Amino acid sequence: MTKPETAAKLFGKPSVLTGAAKNFLAAIITSSDDAIISKDLNGIISSWNEGARRIFGYEADEIVGQSILRLIPPELQHEEDFILAKIRSGQRIEHFETTRVRKNGEKFAISVTISPIKDDNGRIIGASKIARDITERRRGDESRFRLAAIVDSADDAIISKDLNGIIQTWNNGAQKLFGYEPDEIIGQSILRLIPEHLRHEEAEILRKLRAGEKIEHYETTRVSKSGEIREVAITISPIRNSNGEVVGGSKIARDVSDRKKVERMAIEAEKIATTGRMAAAIAHEINNPLASVLNLIYLARQDGVSQEEIQNYLATAESELERVSHIARQTLGYYRDTGSPSEVHLHNLIENVLSVYRSKLLAHNITVEATFNDLRKIRVRSGEMVQVFSNVVSNAIDAMPEGGKLSITTTRTRQEEQDGLRIVVSDTGHGIRRENIARVFEPFFTTKGNLGTGIGLWVARQLVERHGGQISISSSTERGDSGTAVTIYLPFDRAQSKMTNGHGSESREAA
Amino acid sequence: MELPGSVIHLADEFSAPPSELQISDSDAEGGAAAQARVLVVDDERLLADTTAAILRRAGFQAKTAYEGFGALEMAASFRPDYLLTDIMMPAMNGVELAIAITQKYPATKILLISGQTGIADILADSRERGYEFPLLAKPAHPSKVVEALRRLKNE
Repeated sequence: MTKPETAAKLFGKPSVLTGAAKNFLAAIITSSDDAIISKDLNGIISSWNEGARRIFGYEADEIVGQSILRLIPPELQHEEDFILAKIRSGQRIEHFETTRVRKNGEKFAISVTISPIKDDNGRIIGASKIARDITERRRGDESRFRLAAIVDSADDAIISKDLNGIIQTWNNGAQKLFGYEPDEIIGQSILRLIPEHLRHEEAEILRKLRAGEKIEHYETTRVSKSGEIREVAITISPIRNSNGEVVGGSKIARDVSDRKKVERMAIEAEKIATTGRMAAAIAHEINNPLASVLNLIYLARQDGVSQEEIQNYLATAESELERVSHIARQTLGYYRDTGSPSEVHLHNLIENVLSVYRSKLLAHNITVEATFNDLRKIRVRSGEMVQVFSNVVSNAIDAMPEGGKLSITTTRTRQEEQDGLRIVVSDTGHGIRRENIARVFEPFFTTKGNLGTGIGLWVARQLVERHGGQISISSSTERGDSGTAVTIYLPFDRAQSKMTNGHGSESREAA
Repeated sequence: MELPGSVIHLADEFSAPPSELQISDSDAEGGAAAQARVLVVDDERLLADTTAAILRRAGFQAKTAYEGFGALEMAASFRPDYLLTDIMMPAMNGVELAIAITQKYPATKILLISGQTGIADILADSRERGYEFPLLAKPAHPSKVVEALRRLKNE
């Protein structure tokens, strides 16, 4: 088709525009990214630009003169009747989103605007169609909608803020957790959610965000609109613009109040269990000498016993009673512990724990080798540390039913810029299997079947971490060389609540 | 033990015999054939020795052992009418000893004595194997021990 012919079809007559103007229009049409197509009132294609070729895949000479129906998937061909009816009545169809088919058969999303073409007399002779491939936009929209739906339906609070801590977005979960409607909190400072005594955290959070760092599973407390304290685990990630610059932060907060409550109850339960375990061991230690004392007094009171024998009986009874009071001083004293930290020599504390388990160690043919090198006292809650070492020692005993060696060493060490003590408790027991080692610090995980509560090591970890320390375990089940070593690090100065990712412990396999 | 840096061997230290008390067992020598024989077993030596002394005064012929295997050996020659044994002991516990004695010498009457609460599993295990023994709580007054043995005799 020649240019004048096309012009005649398009504009009714060839001479409507100057040559320069026509070239100008033709250049626009040719260079357009959109498909620009014209067709007559029977739906026969009469012109086809470069954009149409790119989008639909047909060359102009293979499609001009063909029916527009070739571009419409079979199930949507009824649309054409509707379109032609509108055009005939002089109406325009704008941004009609539908599906069309490319030469290679691929269906794709398209947005079309169709306008009637009139001749000089105003008679409608055809239609121009401008079509834009919106596959990409559709995809973008879909993923945006999907993301928005996910954010909105999440139980977690999902909040975004700028680098000044001003809240930008606020989802349903945030509304539920903190009580604010989006319009009362968006534009406000995030500090409204942070209890006064923790506001220093925000400066640290913003500093990390600006540095592009992420904060994961940080457990802290926040405050709701009504002033209630919420225990939350938060993850904060930097938000970047398309240039990669950090422009704000997204914050996901999960309400862990219930979990915390359960954890506190479990810690209490384990304290009671530890107390029970130790009480049983202490009972054995105390009942034996008491039984001897009863026997000795009974013997001393018998007829016909010489004065010398009586003295002998009573002296022995006295030393047995001293044994009882020694045990009582060593062990029961800890239960008066009200929780305030005090300065102790850790080796004394560990020796006292060992003395509680003395009979059990003997009964299992376990020898104890302790090497203490801790001249400096450490400030701890004694009751808690007794519990930690009691749990670890009693695990070691359980691991050696056939006897073995329990080794305990304490050494002074420097870790993460802090002076502290490293205590290693190792046994020559059966070891922990590889698949279990990573789980031993999980609550309610036990390798002891019905005999274990599964919270001893978990509680030990809670207490060690509360002190700012770390606990880790290594184990080998290799025959002839099996055993488990628990390493505990306790800093001399209790660390302040540090913003770590909450995993102060690690598990690893021994070689 | 107070000095940091020292190496201690708990097992060695604690397994030393605690008792220097000499308790006469002369009564046992003069025992008539009619005297009932009691084997007293406890890893707490002082307790085993004083209990045996008390039983002799009460008219029993008593011998002591400080652990299960020694007790089994002694039972072969002593042929006790009664076994009075502690439960928590190294190597062989009191219930295992009681079962072994019952199997070898069915006529021997058993009395367990224990000061510990942590023996529920041992007792449950024994019941599962079809054995149930009377149990006295430690510390028991000596007259209660004598009384319990006499009651067993009349059963």
